[in-house]
Order: sequence, then structure tokens, then C-alpha cells
Amino acid sequence: MPQNKNETVIRIANLSLRFGGLQALEDIDLEVRAAEILAIIGPNGAGKTCMLNCINGFYHPYQGEIIYQDRDLTALKPHKIATLGIARTFQNIELYSGLSALDNLMAARHIHMRHGALLGCMFFGPTRREEVAHREQIEEIIDLLEMEIIRKKVVGSLPYGQRKKVDLARALCMDPAVLLLDEPMAGMNVEEKEDMARFILDIYEIKKIPIVLVEHDMDVVMDITHRIAVLDFGIKIAEGLPQEIKDDQKVIKAYLGEE
Amino acid sequence: MPLETLPQVLRENYEKYGSHVVAMRVKDKGIWKEYSWEDYYQKVKHFCMGLVSLGLQKGDKVSILGENKPEWFWAELAVQSARGAAVGIFTDCLPEEIKYYVGHSDSTFVVAHDQEQVDKLLEIKNDVPKVKKVIYWDSKGLWSYTDPLLLSFDEVIKLGYDYEKKYPRLFDEIVDQGSGDDIAAFCYTSGTTGLPKGGMLSQRWLVESVREWGQLDGWFGKNYEYLSFIPPAWITEQGVGIAGSILARMVVNFPEEPETVQENIREIGPGILFFGARLWENLNRMVQARMIDSTFLRRRIYRLALPLGLKVANMKSEKKKITLPWRIFYFIAYHAVFRQLRDRLGLSNVNAVYSAGAAVSPDIIRYFKALGIDIRLFYGSTEQGVMSMPREGDIRPETSGPPVPWVQVALSNEGEILIKNKYPYSGYYKDYEATESKIKDGWFYTGDFGHMNEDGHLIVIDRMDDLKELAGGKKFSPQYSEIRLRFSPYIKDALVIGGPEKEYVTALINIDLDNVGRFAEAHHIAYTTFTDLSQKKEVIDLIAKELARVNDTLPEWTRMRRFVNLHKEFDADEDELTRTRKLRRTFVEDKYKELIGALYSNDDIYKVDADVTYRDGRKGTIETSIFVNEIR
Repeated sequence: MPQNKNETVIRIANLSLRFGGLQALEDIDLEVRAAEILAIIGPNGAGKTCMLNCINGFYHPYQGEIIYQDRDLTALKPHKIATLGIARTFQNIELYSGLSALDNLMAARHIHMRHGALLGCMFFGPTRREEVAHREQIEEIIDLLEMEIIRKKVVGSLPYGQRKKVDLARALCMDPAVLLLDEPMAGMNVEEKEDMARFILDIYEIKKIPIVLVEHDMDVVMDITHRIAVLDFGIKIAEGLPQEIKDDQKVIKAYLGEE
Repeated sequence: MPLETLPQVLRENYEKYGSHVVAMRVKDKGIWKEYSWEDYYQKVKHFCMGLVSLGLQKGDKVSILGENKPEWFWAELAVQSARGAAVGIFTDCLPEEIKYYVGHSDSTFVVAHDQEQVDKLLEIKNDVPKVKKVIYWDSKGLWSYTDPLLLSFDEVIKLGYDYEKKYPRLFDEIVDQGSGDDIAAFCYTSGTTGLPKGGMLSQRWLVESVREWGQLDGWFGKNYEYLSFIPPAWITEQGVGIAGSILARMVVNFPEEPETVQENIREIGPGILFFGARLWENLNRMVQARMIDSTFLRRRIYRLALPLGLKVANMKSEKKKITLPWRIFYFIAYHAVFRQLRDRLGLSNVNAVYSAGAAVSPDIIRYFKALGIDIRLFYGSTEQGVMSMPREGDIRPETSGPPVPWVQVALSNEGEILIKNKYPYSGYYKDYEATESKIKDGWFYTGDFGHMNEDGHLIVIDRMDDLKELAGGKKFSPQYSEIRLRFSPYIKDALVIGGPEKEYVTALINIDLDNVGRFAEAHHIAYTTFTDLSQKKEVIDLIAKELARVNDTLPEWTRMRRFVNLHKEFDADEDELTRTRKLRRTFVEDKYKELIGALYSNDDIYKVDADVTYRDGRKGTIETSIFVNEIR
């Protein structure tokens, strides 16, 4: 963990993204600090998910830079960015639905596996030791997210809230240095949301990594985040502490419209 | 000198078996982790020393609040080593209830499982000033808690190490001082009526009565595997799980989570087993429902084999000779169906199988007997322990077996069961009056209604208080009908109502959401919620049919005439059930007073406008209307 809590981990400057004539993001400046849960909020279509997609390399902005560990991420491929330690979850849950929860998680650890596919076919000697070590790491995460019951269940058969959990667990399995969560609580009931909020706080406490969160549920955002950035039509209209954002006139206007 | 206390027996086990024999297994991180008798003993010793260094004294009480885990057992034995008493609390208790148990028992320490339990305790800490420390064993989520009241289990063990270095002889000395008269555990009565009372159990109870029980049922020398999952706050787990495992050297296995019991039981294949009445019902219900879902061929084979099994089971309980053709039929049925079924349920190796606490429908006992599993439905209570026990080779679905050798049974003129016991409990804590009021002329009045059959088997019908007199002056037991209703896979719970001022008998029904849901799916019935499903015409017809089936087995005057499918399930969080899932009859009857009124009117629809309490304590209201139905 960096010495200084306010040290910048990811610095985004002048970020602009365009789909043909549509300006999705315009001149965004934002930094992710070492010790914080940062929320990105905004009305539908504000560009929140676009931000995450730019950070992890799904989209390439036409202007601006995203600096992480002295490198500009905008030119890199997603899998390269993943190996640099930036993990994410997805709004629409992108899991191997035919595999068990456990196998999904094991697959996520492949970036940490040193032996190739050929050796991996043999459960013997060093490959065996490696697999056992990875399984141990995964069991820690299963314990953390209380997934013992669904460990061996096929993901496709799980209810939505549980699949979200597997998605989050998979991101954690990469041992990330930064965690990006895209609407982790969408479509959940109150109890599941409370659990998820608790897990996010637990992860933050144990892993001591910055978490960037895109979320709609205002109560959750106000409760668990340290800082909030607000987007509206691709423009950052506010940034600050939860209380400041709550009272910000521009934000209220963006959400409720003008009188 | 014979060993009088559990810690003394534990020490003997440690000296005999040391690190070679497994005493406990717990599934953690997906792997079964083993503890030998040496590990067990060392943990107990150090935790005990740690508590003593923190000020635990002889006669002190320590509350334990957690799921079944080795730490629970270690903590209890550690407290008993210091000649204190362990007070078990159910994990799903609300903070208010925990406040009562901890406060009433004057506990000086609380050992709690995890963040969930610690949060509850911190919420009430100002109301229980006697508590010196709250000790937790699962630190997950508690990393940033700074309350000085908190201490982790490992820290206490470490304190114990240091304390032992200073006073190396102390532990042995206090264990040697222990006597059979020491109060070892509190088991609170479930409180179907009024506030729970703290029944005190002595070391003599734990050691000697359980030893006799074990001898009666042949626990010794078998090295049984046991899966611990009934709450240790309950006297049965104190007897079988904690005392029985130490006395008869069983291996205690702890499931990973309460929800994984079914999976874990299959991995362990226990030899001794205790399931509450509800669990047997649920297992049976699950098998029935899965069979409905199964393929045509499998269903046919199952339906061929089951009557065979039932027939042979009946012959056995009637002690008839089983002729060769039947033996062959049963052999085939067993190997074609029952063996696999037992394996699926994790019941392949079971030998001593128990149930108690609530009546089990004879149909359930017959069903499992057909699979070759003899459920011993014994009769016991918090105060008197085991009172009667079905014996091997003479297990009958309708009885609780003959009284055990250390107990004398008599019946009062009203039919109440009276007990004289060599190993009684030691009274209610801080409630001399209640203790005395139950004893007259040396007999303990159990408050249970029952009778002896001609072979000396005890048959327990119901609580005296729950017996109802009907309009004609005839007695009837609502519970008797309810357990028979619950045999239906579609009925999860039922409250049967009747009384002197009521013309006929009626019932409130909780449908079983899973199985009725499956039924609805199979019959293309669309539904949204529990409430909606329960009021579908097809579902009402289905339930009416089940009620009619039970009615056929009941005497004319106790047959149910009208019923409703309740819009919600009975819930312990709303005080409708006790924590052991017994119905709080008076409370429920009072709560649904108006609805019950509708059952005795000519209305066929009733408007519900009810308050509900959610799990997190928030309140809400339900507005709906439900149908009042006739049984033809």
C-alpha cells in the first residue's frame, strides 16, 4: 500500500470519448486515490460505464490520458490492463454460465499461473502444488463472500444476486490493485444489497485497495463511499464528499430537472 | 475414584488417545480439518486458563452464542473446567432476547461467533453490566472494531498460555476439584408459555445419565461419527453432542455452514444422528417432491418398492415373522431403491437414530422404517432429560417406548405424566417457586398428557395445557391433527382450532412454498407471491383434499370443517414460533382472532390488514383478502 493515503493511483486527464457524432465523455479530469471508495454516479446515459470501459481498455478515447503506474492505459489492450492489476465486474454479469462457481474463479486465476496449458493438463508435481495454492487463495475469497453453499453449483442455475457475487469474487481472484465495480447492486433486493455493501466494505478493509463504484442506489452510495464524482451527459458536473454532493444544486438539477 | 465431571473424562481421553485419535472434524475452506483428543484438550486447557486470568471464578456463568463449531465445545468445556456453567443461546435470537438470557443468567463472559452476534451484543452492552468481556472466534468483518469489551478467541488462548507458564499446576488442580454437583450448563426452556426459565444441569446429569443412556443404546466401542448441527443451546445436543461424544469417544463433525448440512452429512455418513421432527418431515417432503419431478421410469420403480418396504416395516413393528418371499421382495426393493435413497440423504451408515422435542407423525416413522432406518422417537424434556426410549428391535411408530431404567413413570388421574428420576435437573435458576411448584409428593409433574399401553410403552399425546375440550365435553389434541397434516408435502405448518364454545374444529394452514410452487408449475398455474399462490383455487382444492385425507383418520368429533390458507408463513421473528420452531399456540390464536372469527361465521372471504415485521426489524403492512373454505 502506498505511503500516502491521498496519493493518486489512477490519474485521468482531458478524457474524451466519441461514438461517431455522439460525445460520450468530454474533457473528464478525475483521480482515484490510494485509500478510498470512489463512486461515479449520474442519470442514465451519463457515461458512467464508459468511464470504466475506458479505464480497463474496452474503449479507446480519442483524446486524453489515463495514467496508472506511470503508463498510459488508453493505448493498452484489456487483458494487458488486467495483468497490471485492474480488475472489474460487469453490469450484465459475464461469467462462464456452464461452469461451477469454483471453476469460474479458478479460471480467473490463470493470469497468476506460471505453468502452461500443456503441463496444466497433468495434475502432478509442481502443477499440482500450484493448483492447490491457487485453490487456497480462492477459498479465502469464498469465505469472505460467504459463498460456501454455491461453491459447486453451476453458475447458470444460480439466482441473479448470487451470480453477481460470483462476478465480484472473480474480480477479487485476480488479486487486483484497483477494483472497478459496475452497478454491483442493480436488481438486488434490500437484504442482498445490504450484504453486498458489507462485502464491499470488507474488501476495502482487508485488501486496502481503491474501489471505484458505479451505482444507482443513492442510499448505498452515500453510506459507503468516501468521494463521489457526478457525470451528466458526458460532463463531470461535480466532485466531492457525499455530503457536499447531496447539497450540490447542479447535481439536484441533473437528477430532478429544472423547475 | 470414578470420574465425576466432563473435563475429567476429557483429560482421561487425552491421556489415552493423545494425538493419534481424531476427536473433531470441521469443514473449513472446503476441507475437513481434524483435531485430535490432544488438540481438544489443549484448546480447552488454554481457553480455560485464559478465562481464569481474566477473572472467571468457580460458579460463574458464561453465555455462548454461535453456530455449531469446535470453539463452542472448547468454550463450554473450558468453562466447566473452571467449575462454571455454560449458557447456550440460539444464534437467531434478537438483541432483546439475548439481553434476557445474558442478564437473567448473570453471565460474566459471552463467547460469540462472528460479527453478526457481536453487533447484537454491542447493541445491548449497557443493559448487561456484569459482562466483562465478549470473546469472538470468527474475526471476519471485526478488524476495525475497537470496543474494549471485545477480545478474540485466539487472544484468550494466548493469555492462557502465558498464565499456564506462571501457574503450571493450576489447571489440573481445578479440574481435580470438580464434583458431580457442579452446575455445568443452563438450558433455557423454549418458553411456549411465558418467559423462558433457566433449567440447570449438573455434571452428574451430563456424565452419569448420558453414560447410562449410551449403555442402553450401545454407543460404546463403536467410535460413531456424529454430525453436530442441532443447537448446543438445546439439551439434546448437550447430551449427545457434548457429553456423549466425550463419554463414548465419538468423532464430532461440524458442517461448514448451517445451509450445507445436507451436503456435509453425505460426506460424513454419520453412525449416530439426531434430527428434530421438522427435519424428518422436511427430508420426507423433499424425497416426495423430487420423485414428482423425476423421470417416469424412476417414479414407477419407486412406487413399486415403497409399499413393499412399508409392508415389511409394519410386519416388523407388529413383531410378525417375515416370510421368505417377503424377505426376497424386500431385498430387491432395498437394493434397487432404498439403498440409493439412503445414500443420497447421507443416511447410509446410520445406526442410532433419534428424534424428540415434538411429536413426529407415525407416517414419517413408518416411511423411514421402510428404508431400513429406525427412528427412535424418545420422550425427554429440559428438566428430566430422557424419560422413555424405544428399544432396539421393538420400535413402534405410535409410541415413545418404555421408560428408561433410571426413571419411574406414573400417571395422575387427569392423565398427566409424572416422573421420579435418578438424574433430575437441578432446578430453575433464580426461580425457586417455579421449581417447587412442579413437584408434589416427590413426583415431578411434566405437564404432558399421555398414557401407557398394555406392553408398558409410553404414548405422549400433547401438553396438558394444549388439550382442548370440545363443545360436547370431549377432549381433543390439536397437535395430534397438526402433525398428521404436516405429513403432507404441501402443508408446512398448521394450527388446528377448537374449544368448548366453538361448534366445530377448524384449521389455519401454511402451504409449503417449494412443493406447492412445483405443483403450480406442473399444472400451469401462474402466481406472483406466497399470498397469491396460497389463494389460487387449485391450491385451495389441493389443500382441502389433504385435509379430507387426514379427517378420515380422525374421530368424528375432531374432524376439521373449515380452513384458510394463511397469507404468510408462521415466523419466529414475529413470535409465532419459538426458536425451536414450536408453535406458540395461544399467541397465534390471539393474533388471528378476527380471522378465526371468520372461520366460525358464514363469510367466505376475509380481508387481511396486518402488520409484519421484517428480518431487519422494520415494520410494514399487508393488505389482501383470503378465502375461507369448506371441507367436503
